[in-house]
Amino acid sequence: MPHHGRKVAIVGVGYSHVGRNTGLTVLQNAFRASMDAITDAGLKPSDIDGVTQYGFSFESVTCWEVADALGIKDLAWYNDINGWGPAGITGLIDACAAVASGSAEVCLAYRSVSLTGGHSAGRKPPTHIPGDNQFTVPYGFISATQWVAMYMRRHMAVYGTKEEHFGAVAVAQREYASLNPRALMRQKITMQDYLSARYITEPMRLLDCDLPVDGAGAVIVTTAERAKALKQRPVYVDAWSFGAGHPYDWFQWPDLTTNGSIVASKYLWKRSQFKPGDVDTAQVYDGFTMLTLNWLEALGLCPMGEGGRFVADGNTKLGGKLPTNTNGGMLNIGRVHGISHVIEAVEQLRGTCGPRQTPNAKVAVATNGGGPMAGAAVLYRE
Amino acid sequence: MPDYDKPLPELNQFTKSYWEAAKRHQLAIAKCSACGRLNHPPKPVCRFCQSDKLAPQVVSGKGTIYSYTVTHYPYHPGFVKNGPYPVVLVELEEDPRVRIVSNLVDYKPEQLKVGEPVEVVFDDVTPEVTLPKFRPRAAAAARGER
Repeated sequence: MPHHGRKVAIVGVGYSHVGRNTGLTVLQNAFRASMDAITDAGLKPSDIDGVTQYGFSFESVTCWEVADALGIKDLAWYNDINGWGPAGITGLIDACAAVASGSAEVCLAYRSVSLTGGHSAGRKPPTHIPGDNQFTVPYGFISATQWVAMYMRRHMAVYGTKEEHFGAVAVAQREYASLNPRALMRQKITMQDYLSARYITEPMRLLDCDLPVDGAGAVIVTTAERAKALKQRPVYVDAWSFGAGHPYDWFQWPDLTTNGSIVASKYLWKRSQFKPGDVDTAQVYDGFTMLTLNWLEALGLCPMGEGGRFVADGNTKLGGKLPTNTNGGMLNIGRVHGISHVIEAVEQLRGTCGPRQTPNAKVAVATNGGGPMAGAAVLYRE
Repeated sequence: MPDYDKPLPELNQFTKSYWEAAKRHQLAIAKCSACGRLNHPPKPVCRFCQSDKLAPQVVSGKGTIYSYTVTHYPYHPGFVKNGPYPVVLVELEEDPRVRIVSNLVDYKPEQLKVGEPVEVVFDDVTPEVTLPKFRPRAAAAARGER
């Protein structure tokens, strides 16, 4: 069942400067990425009538602040999304829904992050822990690395996934990063390098984790009709979905070998005209290597439980069956929190990725999320 | 123990009974009086039948390790001097769908594994707060404690 409403396209993409400890604020970076995307589309800020963004409450910049900086005279649609959203793709999904429904004509979606605004950076260590975290933090169970490590260990116990399978994700993605001038980590690594990296929280190693940065990414969504007259080859968004499930809790979730990706994938394929076998390139979330395996499995791009072996067999590499995270992923370009997966899918479908280009890519998936929350989209070109 | 420097729970009206039971060295999970399901962490309504009649139910404290991690990077200064420490996700004997995050204590390295039978022990970390932790059931058996 397709989405009701107007056919939508991504017509512009952009990044701010992305780096470590740049001193640039989330507003500066959101503004830069937005201007870059607007210019890429051949538009002006005055053409924008919708703005949407996802951010943690402690690490975001509001639609108002960005619209104000851009000098947008008025807005027909804006949406600051906080809470347990699936990272940067949340804004893209909201923008697609807004344009498809006629709530906006040209919608900007961005995600802006900063190192200094991160989960734990620069804050005084807490002594008393409110909410659900009072049942976890007192045990030294504090970070998303530890949460995902529980999922890794369970996947290993149930499916025989090995540490080398997580390593295969890191090695394959670094190879792509070596071909991407935008990546911060570009020196190729071997499995031995991966296995020599220190444990953060077993079985998770440093090289399983994305790279925290200051930076932002932005995309522009409009109608297919309007896209015809714009500067770039349109990339259409065929279907999109959120996904989450009961219990809405990282540790009470029924089966830790899966996550919200199975819910988002179910709705995505119900709505799309395409099937898993049609996907030419996958840009799937890689906050941690485990999450990439979860997505490959949930989307039906490999059998359930086989994600590790699928990657270790070379399927996700350049020239493989399913080139995946072809910009190097957030492990290497930096954690701009998932908007980068959308941008890379667009650039692959435009055919502008140079040495890392997937030949003749026509259909791509872009996904974000880990734990019970997920978001996904199918993109294509004609 | 005034020098205890790790984070502590901040009790609220829904979590108070859990921590009060721990202080009495009991593991008490919120049980729905309407449908009988255990709910954890405790909440104002039963997530399974939406009743608001939940009451603490003392459970055996027996369970099984569902998953675990050994944390090397201390995310809180209170854990710096620990060295690597195990965090376990324990499924309860009374309802394996309900899991508790805790630390494993008094264990041999080979006992830190998925499927290991464990039981609750109580760590009185401050005069006010007791943390339920878990140890392999085999550890107690070996000492002739049961």
